[in-house]
Amino acid sequence: MEDYEAQELEFWRKLDEEGMSRSQMLKRSVAAAAGLTVLSSPGIAWARERGIRVSPPLKGSSISMSELVAQAKKEKHLNTIALPPDWANYGQIMSTFQKKYGISITNSNPDGSSAEENQAVQSLKGDSRAPDAVDDGPAFAIAGTAQGLFTRYFVTEFSTIPRAMKDTRGYWTGDYWGAISIGYNSNLVSPGPKTWKDLLNPAYKSKVALNGSPLTSGSAVAGVFSAALANGGSLNNVQPGVDFFAQLKSSGNFIPVQSTPSTVASGQTPISIDWDYLNLGYVKEYPAANWKVVIPSDGVYGAYYCQAINATAPHPWSARLWEEFLYSDQGQLLWLKGYSHPARFQDLAARKVIPASLLSALPAASIYAKVKFASSGQQTAAKALIASSWPSKVGA
Amino acid sequence: MASEALRPDLASGRRRLSLAWVGTLPFFAYTLLFLFLPAGEVMVGAFKGVHRGWTLSNIRLLFHEPYIHAYRTSIEVSLVTALIGGAVGLAIAYAAIREGTPRWIRSILTTFSGVAANFGGIPLAFAFIATLGTIGVVTQILKNQLHIDLYAHGFTLFGKTGVEIVYIYFQLPLMILVIAPAIDGLKREWREAASNLGASPYQFWRYVGLPVLMPSILGAVILLFGNAFAAYATAYGLTSGVVPLVPLVIGAYYTGNVLSNPHFAQALALGMFVVLAVMMLIYIPLQRRAARWAR
Amino acid sequence: MKPRRFMAPSAFVWLLLGGAYFFIPLLATLLFSLKSIQTGKCCTLSAYGWVIHNGDFWHTIKLSFLLALETIVISLVLFVPTIYLVHLKVPRLRPVIAFLALIPFVVPPIVMVVGLLDFYRGSPTWFYDQPWGFLVAAYVILAFPYMFFSLDAGFRAIDVHTLTEASQSLGASWLTTLFKVILPNIRVAALAGSFLALAIVMGEFTIANLAQFHTFPIFLQYVNETQAYRPAALTLLSFGITWAAMLGLLFVGRGRGARPTLLAGGR
Repeated sequence: MEDYEAQELEFWRKLDEEGMSRSQMLKRSVAAAAGLTVLSSPGIAWARERGIRVSPPLKGSSISMSELVAQAKKEKHLNTIALPPDWANYGQIMSTFQKKYGISITNSNPDGSSAEENQAVQSLKGDSRAPDAVDDGPAFAIAGTAQGLFTRYFVTEFSTIPRAMKDTRGYWTGDYWGAISIGYNSNLVSPGPKTWKDLLNPAYKSKVALNGSPLTSGSAVAGVFSAALANGGSLNNVQPGVDFFAQLKSSGNFIPVQSTPSTVASGQTPISIDWDYLNLGYVKEYPAANWKVVIPSDGVYGAYYCQAINATAPHPWSARLWEEFLYSDQGQLLWLKGYSHPARFQDLAARKVIPASLLSALPAASIYAKVKFASSGQQTAAKALIASSWPSKVGA
Repeated sequence: MASEALRPDLASGRRRLSLAWVGTLPFFAYTLLFLFLPAGEVMVGAFKGVHRGWTLSNIRLLFHEPYIHAYRTSIEVSLVTALIGGAVGLAIAYAAIREGTPRWIRSILTTFSGVAANFGGIPLAFAFIATLGTIGVVTQILKNQLHIDLYAHGFTLFGKTGVEIVYIYFQLPLMILVIAPAIDGLKREWREAASNLGASPYQFWRYVGLPVLMPSILGAVILLFGNAFAAYATAYGLTSGVVPLVPLVIGAYYTGNVLSNPHFAQALALGMFVVLAVMMLIYIPLQRRAARWAR
Repeated sequence: MKPRRFMAPSAFVWLLLGGAYFFIPLLATLLFSLKSIQTGKCCTLSAYGWVIHNGDFWHTIKLSFLLALETIVISLVLFVPTIYLVHLKVPRLRPVIAFLALIPFVVPPIVMVVGLLDFYRGSPTWFYDQPWGFLVAAYVILAFPYMFFSLDAGFRAIDVHTLTEASQSLGASWLTTLFKVILPNIRVAALAGSFLALAIVMGEFTIANLAQFHTFPIFLQYVNETQAYRPAALTLLSFGITWAAMLGLLFVGRGRGARPTLLAGGR
């Protein structure tokens, strides 16, 4: 059973659990009836007649693009959160959106985590600074949905997004995915590593780094998954991954420094295990480092992020327009330009709308075909294992 | 009359005393509104479970590995940096303030300390990585010029000792800033009188200087302890959480991209509170003893 | 014993060691900031140029400075009379306040901001939505431990009872005593606390981050995570600017107020 089906069942079970008393039921029915009466009030009825929308639509396909744009323009603004401009080309995506529709974007907390995004939705509820849409890791998208943070919306292209990357009720949709890669400074690292096994080479002493700790960084968790796949583990058992890093540490190859653009450029982290879209970005940004990127052939692990709209968004129309833009061909190709795989990649490839230049900038498609994604159940189990095992095995 | 008003223990009447309490009201009101409420939420939240209801499981979990190890490491790092920072900070502050040292040195030191006391996080971590990291400036000089390979000898910046070295960078200035006014109170005449009576510098410090300064030193060391205990960003920037420190664990459970258990994070914070409370309980009698000479 | 004319040798050694420890990491940062992105080697000022021409840099640093000033003023107004009163009349409250002063260390900023955001959600927009209201309220609490221990050390170093008695017996009112007699004597301690408050506001990240305010540390963190070489330039520039601000504060503090009285044994 898929996770969100499990989640739906959970949702109904919780409702049961709440055990509504009779009086509560009555109160709710009265409220609902009052609501219905309000809805049928003359003012609203008049608006309906004229086709003037008072509330944003559930489906992108039920409204024309020009009308959506017109309504969004009235709001004049969009609040985004946790979108680093150099992450999968978000910088160009945001500026293109602003130029195309004349809607200004306020992007707060560019380095925020998914937890902080959900927290902002909750803490700033009703405030004009609240984020309109979030870009969460799947675990947080699911958790946020259960907490009622998000509202349902089906983008026009919803059907072309793979089933495994979306919530069928419309609460969240996967937007792009990447695979774990090994990036290295070819000036300082010779020979270059190609697989996880290569990383144990004594020539790489104090050279191998992760993008953070797997206790706090999604990229590092993915690194552990990837290492597990390469060392006899599986999506259900990441212990071999933790053990591999323990081995890396005891051999002296692993340094616990978080790899950032500064450490990559300075050579402090000459080998960085990180998302392919981040590592590939470094190649052009820091020519002095002669950065090269490979996807380790013995462990191809991928993960995606998810778009969701804030249920109490201060600019609901802009939020929907933003989603439509992201899932349009133009938006998806901009993500591809940022070296990530957009959710509608198969669809775009089938319709042959992908420029060859973008494809050739990425590693071979044959490697990507082997990619494995973990379900949210597998992720939860892996995180629990890492939380208990990592500090003692890899910690100081 | 005036003297009676100022000594509440004399029979001056309760009216004067209650006025003093009223004077502290704005302060207590402010702390109630902006400190107690969020702090209260932590204390209460520590006892809540993931689903509704109260539970002690969060607290019980604190005593297991790796969390108890995190507390041990945090306390050790904080104690070491507080004591070293305290001692060295006192020496440097005294060196800058004492007679004979040009006044401009004190101004530079005080203002620099103001900035350095809050220089932390990734910029500080990176400054030290650039200095003592595997390819840091000092590491390279030692290796190439003096043929001392630090890392081959087992030194690493990216462990507990490294964190302590880096923490001292903001502990020292804090000590300097806080102890300077107290050193001002160490009258020059006392030093003169002591040396006239034939005391050596050591004897001066042992019998006059340190006892006079001890209450302020103790207060400063407690402040340094709390400062190091709560520090987060620097340790993360340096070791990405490999060195287990309590604030890092809290961050992981509260705002990370991976784990999420806000109530457990609050339990960890409650644990921090207990540690600091114990510190205070040790501090109060020590401080009372140290201030005895002033009575 | 005649007054010393030159620095004591031990003082020189300590100051030298301290200076080396403080400046070498900054020097390393400087060397790194002069490297070019293209070649990875010295020497170019392009990183500094990028920072100086960045509108966000000026906007956020100005905002943070103003917030710091506001925090300092509110902190002094709130804490100085309180600690004075406590030292003078209610010494039993001192350990209580000292204990309270440790609480901000224990409440992680992340927990504090969530609690504050939740609790004050219904409050008027001029407080909740503005950094001048919400953020400063939190910053005063953050500065509280540092302010308290600084001011406490300062009050300890002077003889509060004698000063107050003398001033009152000369006919001064409470306010005059506070401003003209006590304040000049704890000037050093108040300045130390103010420096620390300024530094805290210029370095505080978590609360501003989650409350979605765009302050200087937010900008700093963003540059640190996404740029190379420029963070080093930014670090040094902000270090220099904050240091200059402190020197400014020092001169302002020195210019105002009477010279310390003999009783305090000032140098």
